[in-house]
Amino acid sequence: MRKRAIILNTAIAFGFLIVIIRLADIMILNHERLNERAKMQQLKGENVQVRRGTIFDRHGREMAVNLELESLYCDPAEVASAEKSAYVLSDLTGKPSQAILTKLNSGGHFVWLDRKLEPDVARKIKETKIKGLAFVPDAKRFYPKGHLASHILGFVDIDNKGIEGVELKYHSTLSTSGRKVLLSRDASGKTLSQGVDMESRGNNLVLTIDEGLQYMVETELDRAMEKWRAAAAAAIMMDPLTGDILALANRPSFNPNSLSGSKNFERRNRAITDCYEPGSTFKIIIGTAALEEKVVSLDTPFDCSRGVVEVGRRRIHDAHKHGLLTFKEVIQKSSNVGSVMVGMKLGKERIYKYAKAFGFGEKTGIDLPGEVSGLIRPPERWSGVSIGSVPIGQEVAVTPLQVLRAYSAIANGGLLVTPHVVSRIISPDGKTVWTFTGETKRVLSQKTAETFRDILKTVTEEGGTAKSAAVSGNNVAGKTGTAQMVDPRTKRYSTEKYISSFVGFVPADNPRIAMIVVIYEPKGQIYGGVVAAPVFKKIAENALSYLEVPREDNAGDMLVVSR
Amino acid sequence: MVNSRCHDRWLLLITAVLVIFGSIMIYSSTSVVTPVLAKKNVTPFFYFKRHIFTMIMGSTFMYVAYRTNPEALKKAAIPLLVFAFILLILVFIPKIGISAGGARRWIRLWPSTFQPSELVKLAMVISLAKYMSMPSYKTDSITSFLIPVGIMGLFQVVFLKQPDFGAAMSLCILTVAMLILSGIRLRYIMMLGLLLVPVSIKLATEPYRLKRILAFLDPWKDSQGSGFQLVQSFIALGSGGIKGIGLGESKQKLAFLPESHTDFIFSLVGEELGFIGACFIVCLFLLMFLRGVSIANRTKDPFGYYLASGLSMMIALQALINFCVITGLVPTKGLPLPFVSYGGSSLLMNMVAVGLLLRLSRGDEVRRVIDKTEGLIERKKALMSVYGRGHALSRYGRANGQGNS
Repeated sequence: MRKRAIILNTAIAFGFLIVIIRLADIMILNHERLNERAKMQQLKGENVQVRRGTIFDRHGREMAVNLELESLYCDPAEVASAEKSAYVLSDLTGKPSQAILTKLNSGGHFVWLDRKLEPDVARKIKETKIKGLAFVPDAKRFYPKGHLASHILGFVDIDNKGIEGVELKYHSTLSTSGRKVLLSRDASGKTLSQGVDMESRGNNLVLTIDEGLQYMVETELDRAMEKWRAAAAAAIMMDPLTGDILALANRPSFNPNSLSGSKNFERRNRAITDCYEPGSTFKIIIGTAALEEKVVSLDTPFDCSRGVVEVGRRRIHDAHKHGLLTFKEVIQKSSNVGSVMVGMKLGKERIYKYAKAFGFGEKTGIDLPGEVSGLIRPPERWSGVSIGSVPIGQEVAVTPLQVLRAYSAIANGGLLVTPHVVSRIISPDGKTVWTFTGETKRVLSQKTAETFRDILKTVTEEGGTAKSAAVSGNNVAGKTGTAQMVDPRTKRYSTEKYISSFVGFVPADNPRIAMIVVIYEPKGQIYGGVVAAPVFKKIAENALSYLEVPREDNAGDMLVVSR
Repeated sequence: MVNSRCHDRWLLLITAVLVIFGSIMIYSSTSVVTPVLAKKNVTPFFYFKRHIFTMIMGSTFMYVAYRTNPEALKKAAIPLLVFAFILLILVFIPKIGISAGGARRWIRLWPSTFQPSELVKLAMVISLAKYMSMPSYKTDSITSFLIPVGIMGLFQVVFLKQPDFGAAMSLCILTVAMLILSGIRLRYIMMLGLLLVPVSIKLATEPYRLKRILAFLDPWKDSQGSGFQLVQSFIALGSGGIKGIGLGESKQKLAFLPESHTDFIFSLVGEELGFIGACFIVCLFLLMFLRGVSIANRTKDPFGYYLASGLSMMIALQALINFCVITGLVPTKGLPLPFVSYGGSSLLMNMVAVGLLLRLSRGDEVRRVIDKTEGLIERKKALMSVYGRGHALSRYGRANGQGNS
């Protein structure tokens, strides 16, 4: 009996020993492995919020910066005489004392009284020494150029969160230092700290935008708006070889520094978010397709003498009768009749194929928020009259940017580029952490592109639709567009509302800039060649001299234009 | 004064350390209040306050047990067992019994709840001690074996009905251990294997139980399912390493490790205090068990011997099973760690057990006559034990010498 007790007790004691050995196995021998496992489930990589980075234009000029201000908050429980304090604060901040009083009397221990105070106001409030008030450093986003490039830059909210434009698209890049910080989390995945580090700065952005070119574009758009009393306008300037957006502007516009005064329609980046029926600029599709598919040659004749062509029930007119035109002249003079004939020769399948290839009906992939893809119907959904509409740019919805990209493909020898506004991301310590490397896609043979470019050159020459786009000293290749707007009430083409556009590139044989100018609802004149082409000319002349592009007619001289 | 008598101060000290340590760990485990809990008015001190209340109550119970004459306890053994059985049945009565997590294990006891299975273990130990100390108890008689086993079987049926496999397992192991200790024929014990038959049937009819039972062999295989709790326990222990990540620093208690304040509190100890802290706890239980064995050896009558052995085994085995569950040595069972886990019934009953052990350690009821001089010597030695070295050996020597005389 005694023996049994000894054996039993030894066994139990031995059990404890086994537990200790097992503990050593789990806790010491397997420590590393299990610790990894623990970190994996307990920590969560999070980007820490920091001061937003600066946005520069392509030459390092500041487009968006931070103002170091202070925000005022209070612990309502500590404020002694709420009414007196509210009166004093109201006097200093200019806010109604009733609103401040409500905040001072609210429950809890934290309430914002005023955000981002001017330094002298903050100083005066500090001097009052009201109990319970406290300041925290707060950064206010400031756009030194005001209206300029506002649709590209966008803006932020009171908590410096990107709301529009590059500020939105690159919010996380701008507001993080690029490194992830491990934060503790609980089993449901909630992090246990906020992860705000206001000492550090976020990454900086370098835009492809050139402030000088942007200024020229915006100035000319303003003039055109005034001259034609237009409802709206948009212009994009791009480097046709790289897809760098050099300038992008819309009218109406807004000042991101005083958002409260701006309306929604002013903030619209219509260059990429609004569709329109392009009209004649869309003839690029049938023109290039016909050449690439060898359906026509430059001199193939089209009889446009009747000035009208019937497609199903619909009659398509030219602006005025042309007579017998070669293929080249059909494009040059923008004959609708001739274009429809070319379109019929191609057939709807091929028209659709080329439209898709040029990127219509799809987003261009520009790094700005809100881009729309537009619409081009697949051939099986075409109606009987579609073959008379699509070739001349009706029944399709496109954005100005899509049109510009298609013409850039002519400029650069047949390559479809990816438009973009940010070229580089620079870390706070000055290292380039990311550089844009966009994809280009061949959509046209070099030969077709060059042939079509030569046709586009004639558009701005004698006999073309856009002589007013001709720039002195350099050849311009381009195309006009005049599209009727659909009246939203009658669902029919309006006879008063037009969209005039001109898209082209210059110098034609060695393009430095490609640009589209779209004027919505001009008054008095409607034709692209009259309304939009002169805007193009003016901007192009300024831009070429700004970029110090040599004149083709006299290579020795430089054109000097003051701006 | 009772305290002037020579009760086992080491046992009291170990118990005090465990209970205080437990309350610290419970605070560490439950002081993080999630928004969900906050809505239910759970404050960081919610569990801690309740535990402190139980501790005070437990101390009172311990003192009462200490003052209880073992002879009186002997007489009350069977009524106590019947009372425990009645309480155990009460859990099935609606409004009195409380069901939680698919099991009925608690009875309502304003303002709290009580788990009768804890009382059952204590009552069983006392009754077995009484039964084994009776002259009619014969180690080679099948009747002497079948009666306690039959009673245990009766409780087992109720436990399986609840279901409470943890309690069933610990009661079974405890009874068998005491039977072995009493010197019963080993072939009878072998026969107990037959009892596994109904268990197997239960497992076969409910395969999810078998799956859960076998999950401990490779918890990583189903770390999001049946092995989840064990994997989380391993992660807690493993991330603690040798020194631990610091008291209160546990990450696993943030809802990763289920039952981190009750059955799996030992994992938390390992995470926060490391191998050193965990070993400290294991060693305290080992030491407590050895004190219990030593007390048993010093008793003079069989009842005292069986009672002391049974009570120390009750605590030690429960702790051992809990350690084995947490370290994945045996299938996962819901069993609290004595003194440390949050849970009033367990703490109360274990403190009563310690109170009884302390009484038995005084030995005055057993030895009848206390040599006043010897008592003084023992006090002196006890004092030496605090300051001097080598006291344990001399004390053991004396204890053994007495046993032989």
